[in-house]
Amino acid sequence: MASDIQNYANQRIVEVLASKLRRRQVVGSRNAAIETTLVLRQVVSKARFSNIDQLVDIIRSVGRRLVEAQPKEHTVGNTVRKVLHHIREEYHTAVEGTAAATKKEDFSISRFVSQGQPRKQNIPVPKSEERTTTLRENDPDDPDSFAKGLKPVLMEAIQDVLDELETVYDNVSKNARDHIHSDEIVLTIGHSKTVEAFLKSAAHYRNYTVIVAESSPSYSGHEMARSLSSSNISTFLVPDSSIYALMSRVNKVILGAHAILANGGMFALTGSLLAASAAHAHSTPVVVCAGQFKLTPLWNLYHEYGALDFSDPSSVLGFEEGDLVDKVDVINPYFDYVRPELVDVYITNDGDHPPSSVYRLIKESYDDDDHEL
Amino acid sequence: MPPKNVGSGKEKLIDDEEEILQAIILADSFNKRFKPLTATKPRCLLPICNAPLLDWTFESLALAGVQEIFVICRSHAELVKAAIRDSKWSKPSSGLKIVPILTAKETFSPGDAMRDIYTRGLITSDFVLVTGDLVSNVRIDEVVRVHRERRKTNKDNIMTMVVKESGANHRTRSRGDSAVFVLDAETSECLHYEGVTGYPPKTHISIPREVLETHSEIDVRNDLIDCSIDVCSVDVPSLFQDNFDWLDLRRDFVRGVLTSDLLMKNIHCYVVNDGYAARVKDTKSYDSVSKDILSRWTFPLVPDDNHPGGHVYEQLRGNKYIAKDNTVILSRTCKIGNNTLIGSSTQVFDGAQVSMSVIGQRCRIGVGSIIRNSYIFDNTTIGSNCVVEHSIIGAGVFIKDKSRIERGCLVADGVALGPEARLGPFERVSKKREPKRDKKAGLDEDEEDEDEDSEWEEVEANQASVTAILGKDSNAIVWPKGSPEEDDEDVDEVETFNNQRLMRIGDDATDLELSDPGSVTSSEEDSESESESDDDFHRRHRRNSSVSSTISLPTPSSEVSLPPLQAAAYREFRHEVNQSIERAFEEGHSVDNAAVELKTLRMASNVPISKVREAVIAGIVERIKLVADDAVGQRKEIAGVINRWGEMIDKIGGVDAVETVCMLQSHCSSSTRMPLFGQILAALYQNDIVEEEHIRAWHSLASSQGDDLKAGTYADNMRKCWAVGTRMIQQFDEQEDSEDSEEGSADADDSEEADSVGDGSQEESEDDENRT
Repeated sequence: MASDIQNYANQRIVEVLASKLRRRQVVGSRNAAIETTLVLRQVVSKARFSNIDQLVDIIRSVGRRLVEAQPKEHTVGNTVRKVLHHIREEYHTAVEGTAAATKKEDFSISRFVSQGQPRKQNIPVPKSEERTTTLRENDPDDPDSFAKGLKPVLMEAIQDVLDELETVYDNVSKNARDHIHSDEIVLTIGHSKTVEAFLKSAAHYRNYTVIVAESSPSYSGHEMARSLSSSNISTFLVPDSSIYALMSRVNKVILGAHAILANGGMFALTGSLLAASAAHAHSTPVVVCAGQFKLTPLWNLYHEYGALDFSDPSSVLGFEEGDLVDKVDVINPYFDYVRPELVDVYITNDGDHPPSSVYRLIKESYDDDDHEL
Repeated sequence: MPPKNVGSGKEKLIDDEEEILQAIILADSFNKRFKPLTATKPRCLLPICNAPLLDWTFESLALAGVQEIFVICRSHAELVKAAIRDSKWSKPSSGLKIVPILTAKETFSPGDAMRDIYTRGLITSDFVLVTGDLVSNVRIDEVVRVHRERRKTNKDNIMTMVVKESGANHRTRSRGDSAVFVLDAETSECLHYEGVTGYPPKTHISIPREVLETHSEIDVRNDLIDCSIDVCSVDVPSLFQDNFDWLDLRRDFVRGVLTSDLLMKNIHCYVVNDGYAARVKDTKSYDSVSKDILSRWTFPLVPDDNHPGGHVYEQLRGNKYIAKDNTVILSRTCKIGNNTLIGSSTQVFDGAQVSMSVIGQRCRIGVGSIIRNSYIFDNTTIGSNCVVEHSIIGAGVFIKDKSRIERGCLVADGVALGPEARLGPFERVSKKREPKRDKKAGLDEDEEDEDEDSEWEEVEANQASVTAILGKDSNAIVWPKGSPEEDDEDVDEVETFNNQRLMRIGDDATDLELSDPGSVTSSEEDSESESESDDDFHRRHRRNSSVSSTISLPTPSSEVSLPPLQAAAYREFRHEVNQSIERAFEEGHSVDNAAVELKTLRMASNVPISKVREAVIAGIVERIKLVADDAVGQRKEIAGVINRWGEMIDKIGGVDAVETVCMLQSHCSSSTRMPLFGQILAALYQNDIVEEEHIRAWHSLASSQGDDLKAGTYADNMRKCWAVGTRMIQQFDEQEDSEDSEEGSADADDSEEADSVGDGSQEESEDDENRT
């Protein structure tokens, strides 16, 4: 049923995004998340369904298609899960009236175990009063009435997800001054937009120094250093090899993340593991800045090799080095897996969390049924 | 694109703004390098890393945002058509419109295909022209943008070729069929194109003089891979139509356009810095492109990410790719080496070793077999204890136990070999032909034309001379190997047997003398000297250098220990020099021209300058006619020759007057011009070619006194010459003593005295002996 409901236009925009993801024309976790949300909004607005299960099926099939296209861009799946979660909530609010309000209660371990799933409300939804007609699922007279009644709320829910993505940098960095103190020396690597916003926001209140490792082979650290120093932060650019040597003078390591895993570990730009391990050896705190859309219900239990996303060797060994190409195998991963014990705290757009409670955030943000799309 | 995609407003906007980008794929290879693998299916459907080449090409084009693709197919056109129809590309959601176009059987070259495109009128705007065997992740849309920009300023910029910098020696750069590009350093306009074959070795390219005149800075590049991605304007097919004899896109079209004075069209190159693009044009490049894919140069077009065939692979440490659907069965004791790809449902049994190879789907590798550097297509079974190295094994092949397949073999689809088959290196085998009756029945077989039939007959006739052991249950026949002697006269230089060897998988061709891929500098040097000289000479110079180049360019060895080859070269050189001096004398060349000619001769043959000097002096001395019994006439003759040609001794590069005198002495001593020594020396002195000090220096040399020589006429003559020198120096001394009222007349006096010395050398030498 779901497949024939999904009309041609939907299929087409999904395929366009899927091939863009596959061809790496959409890169960056936030970009991918935003693109996914836009596609989902299109899909929902066009979808024809007469009960909630059909809608969920449609969204899940779209999600599956996108995730298969690029399994390494975790935010795509996360966004789909988040949208599903919001849609279910909206549905429950609409159907049960005040049901959502009763669910809004404090979290406790005992109840968590007994209930299995705390449905914490992230966004207050006070729209139930406006609705005059009650929603009827599977109405044989007018199969579209359910969709018609629900769609405005759903659109709003998806808009919430989009808003969250658009304000994520501001929200992550709103508490920056509590984390960075005056005259501190902070080390970071690469060019993470979240970290950049965080450091810049802290610079409004504090006077501190940033050491940026240049992060070969992408050398995105260069760009980061340029950007930071242009907003009057005293910045040093150092080669990656001197991270350990400098670590004794560093007060804090601030990293970005590509995906935060359920066990509290993370995938982050190559070199993050180096920095985190060096920090661990010197007992320097490691702070990770990331939006909640990077929370991923994965464990990396088996340390799957391919998960690090190996790119082409050209940035390490030029193609013009013809003689060497035949004799040398070059390994050029995008990401490092950083174990949870190397991270001290995650700063998200929804508060600060230790790695050990990431699993809880994941439980709150996504529904259990959606972990496998 | 029809406005089906109303849904996405963004997409629609883009579509409206830009015109549709068209592409043409030449899906036929127009050669037989993959035979017999291509006997039953076209080359573009051969799998590379388990996806047909055509799919890789489509993916490359889709990446560039191409919307409409015309696929030109010739051989096995029905198969290509079916493959396109069944592929994911023909689904409406792919965003590509693919139109297969069947051309006539008479289309024998890319040029014919272009003419066909023209007559069909398919092309409406700038288009991308690629071959059906391209693997690329280059942003072609960027090239198209640059091309369009260029077109805006000048309509004559008709084509942009995409080239990739690779270094002179790269596995993906074909040694047999590459090219030297001469580019304008600033605009990267292609000014000159010259194809380079590996064998026979190419030692020179000649750049037209106009190129050097009209462009202040040029790059001569011998390190580029020609990706054969061309962004062409609409004019290109029509140019092919006008020039019906153009066959090849590069050797005929590009050369034709660049050398033509009438067309006034320009071709540019686009040197790609990031991105990968290469063609699978022969079995060797099949091997190297496969390896490039496995070592991820084509990222994101890699097996575990964006596999064009839609398979999903898991990447393991060491670039091993195993199909992810949990159907691959690897025995616990088998060894999978680095850079290996294994398709789904394949089984590898106990103790088998697979490394640097690609294994298709549903294959079975038997107990203890070893597969190295090989490519095995789908549904193939390798028995136990087999060895396969550096080979391509087709689909559905059954190789039975204990067989051995050496490097460079091609085994076509459906062959059964063994047990205990032995294929020597570079053997090509295919299935025996079905009896004629059956053939008529099959639909596809109707296509096999006369040409193909005669080829088969040839193969069948050849079976008697086969040395390979095929095993008792085999259904295979062996294809003839070919040899350099079999080359027809009219065969294209790229297609000669020895050159083809450079394109074979597993053939390192170490026994051939090849063009040095890095010898850009030497060709530059030559071209400069060539452009200075006149035409007739230019030709001779080239002939010469190609003779000598097989020997040449080690460090100049000393004269004493000439290796035999060099001695021969020297003799050759001597002969050439004599000839050219003779010609110079006879035809009355200017001294400058003659000197340039000698200079280049010297460079080409790589001989030391002293040899040239010796030859020149000898030539001049022999030029002087002996005038008997007339001292004044003789003197006039000498003065005439020295005045006219003496200069040349110094013009040949490097001035060493002492050596000049030494050589004059030794030459005179061994020729009939002996009595003239004094006079010639005086004439040289008069013309300022040798100075007083030089004569003194020569005089004091041990070798010029002829002391260490064995007694004989030569030694005597040497001594006599030396004695003449002694007289001359005495005169210098006297002159200095008596001194120096009239400088002006001094020269004249000197010469007269010197002359008189020369005349009376006989008596003087007696005096000399007495004194010593």
